[in-house]
Parts: sequence; structure tokens; C-alpha cells
Amino acid sequence: MAIPRIRIDQVSKSFGPVQVIKNLSLDIERGEFVSLLGPSGSGKTTLLMLLAGFEQPSAGSILLDGSRIDHLPPHRRAMGVVFQNYALFPHMSVADNVAFPLKMRGMGRPEIESRVKRALDTVQLAAMRDRRPAQLSGGQQQRVALARALVFEPAVVLMDEPLGALDKQLREQMQLDIRELHKRLELTVVFVTHDQSEALTMSDRIAVFNQGLIEQIGSPRDIYDHPRTRFVAEFIGETNLLHGTVKDHYQDGTTIELDTSRHLTVPRIDASAGASVLVSVRPERIQLGPASVAAQNMLPTRVVDCVYQGDHLRVQLDEAAFGLVARLDRRSAEWPAGADVVAHFAPEDCWVVAA
Amino acid sequence: MTTLWQRAGHAALVLPLLLFLGLFFVWPLVTVLDQAVSDPVVSRHLPATSAASAAWDRSSAPPAEMRQALVRDLRAIDDDQIMGDLVRRLNSAQPGFRTLMKKTVTAARDSSGDLDLGEVDARWRDTAFWRAIAEATNPYTDRNLLAAIDLQRDRAGAIAAIPEGESANRAILLRTFLVASTVTLATGLIGLPYAMLVASATGWRRQLLLAAVLLPLWTSLLVRTTAWYILLQDQGLINSALSALGLIGKPLPLLFNRTGVIASGALLVFMAALGYYITPALIGGPKDQMISSVIAFYATGSANWGMAGALGIVLLAATLVLYGIYGRLSATNTRG
Amino acid sequence: MLRVSRFIFGAATVLFLLAPLIAILPLAFTSGSMLTYPITSVSLRWFEELATADAWHRSIVNSLIVGAGTTVLATVLGTLAALALRRRVMFHATLRTLFLLPMVVPAVVLGIGLQILLARLGLANTYVAVIVAHTVLAVPFVLVSVSASLDGIDPQVERAAASLGAAPARVYLLVTLPLTMPGILSGAALAFATSLDEVVLTLFVAGPNQLTLARQMFSSIRENISPVIVAAAFIFIVGTVAIGGLLAAVRQRSMRTSAIP
Repeated sequence: MAIPRIRIDQVSKSFGPVQVIKNLSLDIERGEFVSLLGPSGSGKTTLLMLLAGFEQPSAGSILLDGSRIDHLPPHRRAMGVVFQNYALFPHMSVADNVAFPLKMRGMGRPEIESRVKRALDTVQLAAMRDRRPAQLSGGQQQRVALARALVFEPAVVLMDEPLGALDKQLREQMQLDIRELHKRLELTVVFVTHDQSEALTMSDRIAVFNQGLIEQIGSPRDIYDHPRTRFVAEFIGETNLLHGTVKDHYQDGTTIELDTSRHLTVPRIDASAGASVLVSVRPERIQLGPASVAAQNMLPTRVVDCVYQGDHLRVQLDEAAFGLVARLDRRSAEWPAGADVVAHFAPEDCWVVAA
Repeated sequence: MTTLWQRAGHAALVLPLLLFLGLFFVWPLVTVLDQAVSDPVVSRHLPATSAASAAWDRSSAPPAEMRQALVRDLRAIDDDQIMGDLVRRLNSAQPGFRTLMKKTVTAARDSSGDLDLGEVDARWRDTAFWRAIAEATNPYTDRNLLAAIDLQRDRAGAIAAIPEGESANRAILLRTFLVASTVTLATGLIGLPYAMLVASATGWRRQLLLAAVLLPLWTSLLVRTTAWYILLQDQGLINSALSALGLIGKPLPLLFNRTGVIASGALLVFMAALGYYITPALIGGPKDQMISSVIAFYATGSANWGMAGALGIVLLAATLVLYGIYGRLSATNTRG
Repeated sequence: MLRVSRFIFGAATVLFLLAPLIAILPLAFTSGSMLTYPITSVSLRWFEELATADAWHRSIVNSLIVGAGTTVLATVLGTLAALALRRRVMFHATLRTLFLLPMVVPAVVLGIGLQILLARLGLANTYVAVIVAHTVLAVPFVLVSVSASLDGIDPQVERAAASLGAAPARVYLLVTLPLTMPGILSGAALAFATSLDEVVLTLFVAGPNQLTLARQMFSSIRENISPVIVAAAFIFIVGTVAIGGLLAAVRQRSMRTSAIP
């Protein structure tokens, strides 16, 4: 088995009495794009700082290509870092900013020139090379920061919520650009974000952080379709969570009792009868039909609200359906408030999360 | 990230300035403090007497040991300057020492061995004179500090006021605070509306308003004071203008008095105004002298380091208290 | 009504602030020897006297020597201290208060103490004595100026430099110092201006051969006031305006390069 590019081995970090990272272990392979996803204060940025060398772990070790680096100062770690507010050198031109890491490595002038040119071309900012950062827009500064972090071909690139300050359109464009760069240059990227849709778009794997621990790590599909904890289920995408207890097991299904009169059929799970569970049903999996519809999971209910969101319709249902929210295709007919309707979905649309 | 070494090296950056200020700022201030409270003449130059007086109860007749110690000490002094200082110090506590000492020293030098001081002069039989010596053996004194606020110790040793007309320090201190307060008030009254004006102004008007404030701030204090001096002269601009306009008959005395001081000082704030030396020195009249000039007078004029120091301490203490208040206020401001 | 009174107030205050300076400047060019208006004829004799009269000439040279020495010493000490106080070193609040105290303490009190101390150290009547005294007063200005500049530096920028391969010393030299330069220069200019203006301490510590221009002016005003003083004042004002203008220009330039949108 190949040595992972980065190995984080039982790392803990405390600031005074507060333990921000609790005994965390994570392997990142060569060429992987891993997102560290979580709310503020969950420890994801701290882990990035530990990787970069700006903080020391209180316990545990960090290895790069098999050798320990946690005692190395930042300037010896050869990692490219892109900061949240770009951190460009305000007193240097764009070209000098990008040339900086090459100068630090003692490269010759002509070599520096050609590399800087190539880097600026990659981010399409060759025309700005003599400008100062203050004269650039946010998006342009972001690209300079990227070019600067990549120009010396580091083994690993660390990004700390680099797209947070950009507007939606620019952000989405940059997400694709970064993803493309990652593939083309075969970079190993560790990307911190609190935006789950961003993580879903860009990553090979997502590590979901909660209070200093990784609750789940997996591919975007894994994380979205099969969240392992309530936190992950609620953090990724929007979902409906229903409380219930395990009633019966069949050959290829399990009955979950929601209350005395309502129950759901979900794919077969491994839990004893009477166990408490949470069932997650994504809004886009819920369909609404007339009373005559027949399906394995049906909840007769009434529409509270139906809002047009541009690319979909968002329908709020009442307590008969446990306040479920459904997302319908925008081409569907709009349901008037108060309309009687049956919310239905297949067992495969349900996912059981540990309670 | 920072090793112990790096952190130690970083902290060491503070040492050059710390040592520099320790030597050339703190030590001089401590020296001033020391000057204000020290009174080493007797303890240093009458060592045996000082030692012997520790055992004396100050009410009955002084022991023979002490008397002979005095004789020995007097014989040991050969510097006229020191003798002069000694006599002055003792005389200020108990009048009559001048002639007494002269007589005694002569008698001591003309003889050897034990000497009956009572025979030399009858005053030596009066314990008051011995008590004056005993009290003066304390190398520290509060005389100057008390005098700084017009107080003194009476015969019994209690604190009492200095008689009317003999010392004007309290009046001067009060005046200093008064002038500083008036200056501060004037500054506030003018400055606040002015600041509001600047905040609402734009373009060239704003630049002009700001420049008008910054230029005087920047320009040498001395220059500004000179300027005020010239303006406020009897034949200065203001008076000429006023008389040309027919508003006054003879020139207004704007110089060498209070109005001039306040008008020119209104640009500064209280703390700086407290320590104000130049402006009152040049523009104020004799009734407008502020405490700094008095301090300087004691120091450079009459070499009374004790008084200079004591007054300086009062001023310094007031300033530090204010600085403390200022620090507290600005801390709460930034937090709030 | 309010507009008119605001205008009058503003104009009156500006007049009050600037009048003394503007009013006396023309007197520097009077050919008479009295400091009164009207000026009957113009001449440069007072500037000539400044340049040639022994006492004045020497005092200008002394001011430049002392000013240069103070600027160098105060800037070095103040900058080092500002760099040190950037991190939360032990007692950093106490240290900062101590370092700023010279601005507040009455100069007369300090003057007395310094005179005694310098005499004891055998430094009486030397340039070193005056430079040292001026430096004590000037350092707080340098400290405040450089500290303000350092506070304005985004620490992420220094971290970025480190992440790109710069060892701590190189970060200081290539990133921190250039970004602090406006603060250092302002501080140096303030130190020079403080030294130029300083009279009180100079009264106590300067010997007859180290009389600075300010000290000389002070004596002249006391003893025999003549237009030569105004000529000296003129130079002061012009010099100060020049330094102020230079600082403003430096600040403009630095704001343009380091502003982050």
C-alpha cells in the first residue's frame, strides 16, 4: 500500500483549557482533493494551521510522505497556502508577489521570469503583472494568491476558505477553475470550507468536522446519501428527520414506527426491535400526489405553504406529515395552501441515521 | 511556532529602551525624589554624634558620651563649606547656632581631649539645642514636602501652617491648576464645536480647517509663544488694530498678564499645561508664575534642591494621578 | 442663521489658530529693528544675521547635530521597543506605559534630575548630554508612530511569507520592515521636530557650547528681542511645514499601496 501523502496521526490541539482538536486521525492520498467541512469553531481551520506549521500539535504527529514534519517551522514545509483574505504583499507588484517563493528558493532570474509568466497565464492575469494588489478586484487577488501558492510546485496545497469573500457567480466559477487546476497539475489539496455545496462540488472526499472530531469522512455521494450521524445529515444539504422506533424486520426491509398510526418502510437495517432511530428523507425525494396514490410510504397531509424558488418549488407540509419539507420540480403544478395531498416516497429514499 | 529561544530573543528587543529609560528617565526622577526628602548634612558630618544621639531620650540632659562625640566630630571637620552647610541646617531648626558653633569650634580646635561644653557657652546647657541636633541626625526629612504645600512642623513637632505671607507655594500650585483648568475648559469649548464643524465639512474647506489645527500643533511651541508675544505687545498687532479702530484709547496690557497666558495656552491640554514652563515664563507677569517656574527658580536660581524636588514631586504626583485616570478612561472607552 | 454663525465660528477659530503664525512672518523681512507694524522697508538682514552672527550660526549647527543624534538614537530605541511590544511579552502593558511616560512628566522635574545625574556621570556640557535628554522626550513619539504602523500590518501577510519559504529574519527584512517604514519615518521626523523645539530640558543640560537654536531663541526673547528671532521663527515654521508636507506625502503613498478593497 502506498504511503499516504499526508498522515495525521492521533493529533490533539488545545489552547489553554479549550481542546479544539480531539485525537484526530486522517490519511490523505497523493493527488486527492479533501475538504475539511464544518461550522465555525469545529477545528477545521486549526487542523490546517497545524498542517502549515503555524501551530504545533499538543499531542500526536503529522507526517508528509512518511516523515514527521510537526517539528518543522512553516518556511521549511514546502506547502502552498492560500489564505482567506489572500494575504498578498501590499508593497510588491503582482509579479513580485508570485516570484517571492521562487526567490526564497534561490532560483535564477530567467527561470523565475518564465515560471511567473506561466503561473500568471494559468490564472489569466498576465496583463496585471505590474499592478499592486490594492489595484485589483477580490477575484483577481484571489487568483494571484493561487498563482503564488502554486508557482513553486509544492507537494501539498492548503486552502483556508479562499472563496468566502467572493460573490456567488465568481465563487462558482473559481470552484471549477480550482478543481480543474487540481486535476491538471495532480495536486494534493486540503480545502477548508463551511459551505457544504462547495465541498460537494469540488472534493474527492469530504471530512465533516464537529467540535474537534471528524464525524464522517467519505465521497460527496457517501456523505450526502448516507450520513452516519444526525449532525452530518443536517449539515449536508437540507433534510427531513423523523424520529421512530424499529418495529419489524422483513427480508429486504424494516418497518419503523413513527407513532401509533404511522409507520415507514425503509431498507433492511441492522438494529434490534425497539431501538430508537432517525430517518432522513431528502426533500427532493418526496413526491406529492392526490389521495388516490399508492406507495410504500404514504403520509396524508395538507399543504401549508408552496414557494417558487426559481429552480424548484418548496412545499411545507403540516404536522400530519411531521412538518416535512418537499422539493418539487419547478415545472410541477403549484399546490395551493390548504390543499389535501399525500406525501409519498420509496423505501430507498429513506436513510436511517443513528439516533 | 515560536520556540523559547525565539521568544526570549524577541523579548530582548525591549531591553535597549528599558535600560536607556531606566538610566536617563527613572533614575533622574528618583534623584529628584531623593533630593526632596534627604537631609544628610548632620548624619554624614557628625557621625559619632548621630550614633550617640540614638540612645538619648531627648528630654533629660544629654549623656557625656554624646557631648564628647560632638567635640570629636567638630574637630574632624576641616572643610569650611561643610561647616557652613552644617551651621545653616542647625540654625534653621534652632536660632542661635551660628554664633554658638563659631565659639564652640574655636574652643574645640584650641584644645584637645575632653571639653566641657557647658563652660564654653551656657547655651549648651539648654536641651533645646541638643534636641535640634538629635532631630537633624535623621538622613530623611519631610520638611521640604511640607513646605511645598505651605506647612511646617512647629516646636512640638506637629504639622502646622506656615505663617501668612512667608510662603506662597499653595497659592502658586492653586494658580497653576486654575490656569490649566481654564485652558482646558477654553480648549473644550472651542474644540468640540470645531470638531463637529470639521466632521461635517468636505473638500478644501475641511483641509483648511484641519491644517489650521495641525499647523500650530506642529510648529515649535517656542515659535508660537514668540508669535503671541509679538502680537500681544503694547505696540503689537492687536493693540494697534484695536486703537486704529478707535476702540481703545491707550494700549491694553495684553502681555505679562493672565489674558495673554490663557489665550495662547488655549491650544494645549491640561496635562501638558500643568507642566507648562515656557509660556508663563515669557508671557506671564510676576503674578502669573506657575509652579514650573518656581521649581526652576529653586533649582537653578537658589540651588535649593530640596524645595525644587519637593515641588516637583507634588507636580509629578498630580500628573501621574491624572495619567492614571486618563489611562482608565481610555481603556474603558476602547472596550466599550 | 445657523449657517452664518457656523461660518463665523469656523472663521474666527481658524483665525485664532493661524493668526499668530501668519501675523509675525512678514516681520522677518523688516529692515527696522522693532517688531512692529507697519513695515516701512524690506530687507534680508535678519536672515543674514542668523547665518553669520556667531551665536546664531553656532546654535543652528548645534540644533542640527543634536537633532540628528536624537533622531538616530530615538528611532533605533523606539523601533526596537515597538517590535518587542508587538507580541504579548511579560508586563507589556506596564512597559508600554513606562515608555510613554516621558511625554507626560513635567519637563522641569526631569531636567533637574538629569542635570544632577549627567554631572555625576561626567557628561555635563557635552553633546551626548543634550542628545540623551532629547531622546528621552522623543522616544514616545517614535514608539507610538511605529506601533501604529505595525498594528496596521496584517499578520496573515507575514504568515504567508513564512509559508512561501521565508525564514523569520527574511520575513522581518522583506515584509515587516518595508511595511513599517512609513511609521518609522514619521517617528523619525517627529523625533527631529521634538528635538528642534525642545527648550526646557536643554536649559538644564546644555552647556554654553551646546546651545541649540531653540535655547538661543529663548534667551534672546528674555534678554533682547529683535527681528532676528522672527527670522529664526520663520525658518522653524517653514521647516516644520516642509516636514509635515513630506510626512503627508509619505502617508498618501503608503495608503495607496497597502489598502485592501
